[in-house]
Amino acid sequence: MRESVLHCEGLRKRFGDIQAVNGVSFEIASGESYGLLGPNGAGKTTAISIVAGLLEADAGEAFVAGERLTTRSVAAKAAIGFVPQDLAIYPDLSAHENLCFFARLYGLSAKQAHARTEEVLEVVGLSERANDQAKTYSGGMKRRLNIGIGLLHEPRLLILDEPTVGVDPQSRNAILESVEQLGEKGMAVLYTTHYMEEAERLCDRVGIIDHGELKAEGTREELVALLGEHDKVHLTGTGSLEAAANACVRIGAVDAASTGDGSIELLVKGASAALPEILTTASEAGVSVHSVEVEEPNLEAVFLHLTGRALRD
Amino acid sequence: MKVLAIVRTELTRTFRWRANIFFLLIMPMGLILLLGIAYGNSNARFGVFEKGDGALAGQLVKALRSEPGLDVRGYGSQDSMEKAVERGYVSAGLVIPSSFDARIQAGKPVALRYLARPDSLAPQVRIAVESAVSAQGSDIAAARIVRGVQKTSLQGALRRVKAVDLAAPASVELLSARGGKYPKSQGQFDRSASTMLLLFVFLSALTGSVWLIETRRLGVARRMLSTPSSAREILLGIVIGRWVITLLQSLSIVVFSGLVFSVDWGNPLGTAAVILSFSLVAVGAGVLIGTLFSSEQQAGPVGMIVGLTFAAIGGSMAPLDTFPATMRKIAHVTPHAWANDAFNHLLVNGGGLSSVALDVAVLCGYAVVLLTLATWRLRRVLTA
Ligand SMILES: Nc1ncnc2c1ncn2[C@@H]1O[C@H](COP(=O)(O)OP(=O)(O)OP(=O)(O)O)[C@@H](O)[C@H]1O
Ligand SMILES: [Mg+2]
Repeated sequence: MRESVLHCEGLRKRFGDIQAVNGVSFEIASGESYGLLGPNGAGKTTAISIVAGLLEADAGEAFVAGERLTTRSVAAKAAIGFVPQDLAIYPDLSAHENLCFFARLYGLSAKQAHARTEEVLEVVGLSERANDQAKTYSGGMKRRLNIGIGLLHEPRLLILDEPTVGVDPQSRNAILESVEQLGEKGMAVLYTTHYMEEAERLCDRVGIIDHGELKAEGTREELVALLGEHDKVHLTGTGSLEAAANACVRIGAVDAASTGDGSIELLVKGASAALPEILTTASEAGVSVHSVEVEEPNLEAVFLHLTGRALRD
Repeated sequence: MKVLAIVRTELTRTFRWRANIFFLLIMPMGLILLLGIAYGNSNARFGVFEKGDGALAGQLVKALRSEPGLDVRGYGSQDSMEKAVERGYVSAGLVIPSSFDARIQAGKPVALRYLARPDSLAPQVRIAVESAVSAQGSDIAAARIVRGVQKTSLQGALRRVKAVDLAAPASVELLSARGGKYPKSQGQFDRSASTMLLLFVFLSALTGSVWLIETRRLGVARRMLSTPSSAREILLGIVIGRWVITLLQSLSIVVFSGLVFSVDWGNPLGTAAVILSFSLVAVGAGVLIGTLFSSEQQAGPVGMIVGLTFAAIGGSMAPLDTFPATMRKIAHVTPHAWANDAFNHLLVNGGGLSSVALDVAVLCGYAVVLLTLATWRLRRVLTA
């Protein structure tokens, strides 16, 4: 078994009336990438802030590289590279200056800081613009600089909080590729996202989080296996989709249903057998169906199965 | 070393914004310049109309010009000088008649016409003029005696008398009531330069709180705490950075006012100790405000109000000596009052480092309290 880099147990955090994180436990081994997948407000950032030593948990504990993590634990923080969800860079400093500055804060000597800055500029593809002020960068370039800062001291655990939000597809792909490479180099990665595809592509294991609780975790295959014989059925049509979805859940074979933009998603046990009944129910509820697709189950289907809701609504 | 990296970044960012060079360094000098023109030139303007061009008349004008507190202007006619006096352009004027040299050579008395307006400077001007005239009178009297003995010309005898004056200067030193020496320069502007320095440094350090708030708003402060750096190291870096900027500002005020207005800043060690400790208090107050508010729009005006109120209460707008006793006690809640006291010891009483030890110790106490509170607050706001 590989060495554990992050271990957390029973993390809880409440903000006033909101129980943002409610008993979250998970573990990440070295070289492993772990994804926290959940919708907006699920508690991902809160959980990650505790793990990055920026927020004191109400209960539970976390260990990074064997060091107990609190907001004061300097030793544990030395093992972590943290990339916050919102940009945290000085816009009036260049990429080079931003990186050198944080390299020193991560405890590198002046010489090491310069050397690592050059390497990281290469990794995040900013070498050519290294001396321009960050405020002159495109959104994607700023994001890449934001990520680069977390890589400076070659941390054992890299924490990325939704690093691709608001990024154009090209930059997004570049970001995902570099995260994949880091994982291959043996860095443990904790990655939050509400994009199912990112979690499926990047993460060895995924934890599904909703309302502050970890609903399930495992490899993609393990999670999909939770669905049993379930298939995902995707209907498109016009009419009262809401009513049709409600009618469909009453069918025995249908586990969960949710409506999207002009479509209904159903989680069905033995889709081929149940399909005729689903179609009749839908048209009786007043929907004219344009297309039906039976899809291979994915993490989105797992989320629907576990929470009765779609990942993005 | 982390602290140094933070200091460097603070300085780089501050001076990258060119306007800051103006606000932090040029503006205080401009302010001092304005004040210097308003206060520093408290010399009375005095007009002279010299009808003749005799050597003795010339010597009297020269003596008047070297009289401290008099700003002498020559006029081409009695009429133009009278007009200048009437309009208050000069406080007073003296007419030296064309017969001045001849009458003195002949040993006859000379009447000098003195025109004055009854303004506040008139007595001061009169004393200065009388002293110049009577000094010449006594030199001439002495020269007459010398002439009698040595049979030279009056001018030659006068030169000898002057040479004796130089060789044995019998000078009078004015002493203040408390026994210290009065400073050589006017004194008035020295004190106002030091109170202005306190007012300005404090104000600008308080408005410096917006830098910390910006660093927080950008998420950089929080990210700094996610690195293996403690809140204390982070705050220390920021504080030293702001402190350096404040000290540069103080230094520019001291040097500039010293060069341009010959302001005397007293004992260098004592003044340095007061400026160092007071600036640290100011920076501490600034960073504390920077941790108490979360937007620049709030902190800016708060800094302005606190800065001006403290300056007013603490004797940086009106001297503490003019305060009633209770107000003077209340004043010592502010660091300004302690620093003003310290400057009093240094500039008025001519004291050294030891004379300000208590004031500096109190200021250091303020700094420690403010910085401790700020560190505690910073940790709280970054981990909430
Ligand atoms: N500082 C705070 N004060 C009060 N409530 C908070 C605070 N931070 C988070 N919350 C609440 O806690 C819940 C979880 O928020 P969190 O930011 O962890 O969600 P998230 O999964 O990261 O969402 P997103 O995908 O939108 O980033 C939300 O309901 C949020 O409103
Ligand atoms: Mg979040």
